[in-house]
Amino acid sequence: MSAVAAVFRRELGGALDSPVAWAGTVLFVVGLHVLFFFLGYPIGDQRLPGFWAGGLASLDALFVWLPPIYAILAPALTMGSWAREFREGTDELLLTQPVTIRALVAGKFAASFALLGAMSLVAILSAALVVASVGPLDWGTVWGGLAGALALAAIHVAVGLLASAVGQEELVAFLLGSIVLLILWAAGLFVRVLPPTWAEALWYASPSLHFLEGGARGLFDLRDVVHAALAVGAALVLNGVVLVGRRWR
Amino acid sequence: MQAGTQSPQRSMIRVEELTKRYGETAAVDRVSFTVERGEVVGFLGPNGAGKSTTMRILTGFLQADGGAAWIGDARVDPDAIEVKRRIGYLPESTPLVRRMRVTESLDSVARLRGMTPAERRGALERVVEACGLAAWTRKRIRTLSKGYRQRVGLAQALVSDPEVLILDEPTSGLDPQERGRIRDLVRELGRTKTVLLSTHVLSEVQAVCQRAIILARGRVLADGPLRSLGDQLGGAGSSELGLTLSGLAHDARVEAELGALPGVEGIVRVDAAPATAGRASFLLRVSERETAAAGISDRARHFAWTILELRHEGPSLERVFLQLVEAFDEREGPA
Repeated sequence: MSAVAAVFRRELGGALDSPVAWAGTVLFVVGLHVLFFFLGYPIGDQRLPGFWAGGLASLDALFVWLPPIYAILAPALTMGSWAREFREGTDELLLTQPVTIRALVAGKFAASFALLGAMSLVAILSAALVVASVGPLDWGTVWGGLAGALALAAIHVAVGLLASAVGQEELVAFLLGSIVLLILWAAGLFVRVLPPTWAEALWYASPSLHFLEGGARGLFDLRDVVHAALAVGAALVLNGVVLVGRRWR
Repeated sequence: MQAGTQSPQRSMIRVEELTKRYGETAAVDRVSFTVERGEVVGFLGPNGAGKSTTMRILTGFLQADGGAAWIGDARVDPDAIEVKRRIGYLPESTPLVRRMRVTESLDSVARLRGMTPAERRGALERVVEACGLAAWTRKRIRTLSKGYRQRVGLAQALVSDPEVLILDEPTSGLDPQERGRIRDLVRELGRTKTVLLSTHVLSEVQAVCQRAIILARGRVLADGPLRSLGDQLGGAGSSELGLTLSGLAHDARVEAELGALPGVEGIVRVDAAPATAGRASFLLRVSERETAAAGISDRARHFAWTILELRHEGPSLERVFLQLVEAFDEREGPA
């Protein structure tokens, strides 16, 4: 456990040390608020007006933005996690310490998840407070949406981290991660027009569908929890496999 | 512990038939050696000889394709945490997290090595002092000179006070002064620890090591105390004579005259530029030193040359090394 904590600390220290994380947080919160309060959600067949235009005391128009934003933000946060270590040769330093690969992967995942989780918490709760100050907000939906958002963030971070190990270079890692995650999100837009078997298959694959039809509506479904746990677990195990594979170079 | 994972003897480092292939080429080819507790051993070889690969296998960074190794009684494997705990490792070209401050970087390694807060405090003070980093602890690593980065790398390797130090070219790219400091530090460390140090600076091995293992193309060419490696060649093989002459009328003919002398195997002109007219320096490879010297003085009398200098170049480790590698290349054909 102390090994995971040591990796977590090393990783988070690196993120907080650079202005990118802070600028990213500000950009994320401000950007998400602009989208939610003013623009609404003009994509797909479930269009939503901006908060000030629609006048509904709900965070729906905020939650629907999270999947595409995470699909870009999570790989941006994690792209360097392994790729930078490989580029600077510091993976040799890390992998020769008396720490298991499991602890290394877990520590790196935890650090990036903590970062994206904290950013989400700030963005969602601040928006919720504004909405609650002008109308009757259903706080149950907010907490459900927040839990769903954290699960969604965890999946995106795990996939981004895997992309960082597979891609080996930061730019490749970012593109790989964000393209895969954007495809999973975009496919969900067509779920209503697909044949039922396809739609069902997609439901198993797409994290954003689980979020939008579950947590974002304030619903708790054990299947969503299992889905998130399996997705995160699979990505982290694969991440470990990639690292073990590098020993055989 | 499984049967068969016990090292037969209690050498600190024991390597048996270690092999690592990159595609078709064997980077490490059935390498075997041992390093006893408290020994400082130099790992020598040209680039691509397999030094770094062997070290990377020992430290658990790479998986071997064949053979086995032990650190003390623990079998080396990338998943063997116990092995990694015993080793302090300075990888080649000293990778460091450049954004970190010196203290932060040492503290981070100490945490990864599972040290308690109290242990960390003491350890940091100790290594900062030992590596001469006291005035630099607040600096970011990216702002440090190469020499200081090397010190940070060494300090990281030392922070948990490991029994075994594996240092991959700790002085490469440093200026002579820094090189001297690192060398002194390694010599000091060698009093209490087992050290395996790779380098292609041979004088370094002569300065700090008791024994050298010479590698080329993944194989062990020689392994022995420095003295015996030197004698091995000084006794039998050829040696070199340095010669400076003046009063030469026809420069071109001198080389041919000297090259034809009995006992002389080869001759190279090694003038310091700009060459003075009528004066020349040579390096002669000779099989029979005294025969060659007699021949030289005979020719000098005959052509009325003046011998300004005639010296015997003792068998240096550098030459032992080059000759072994050359002989190996001749035997094995070009790489």
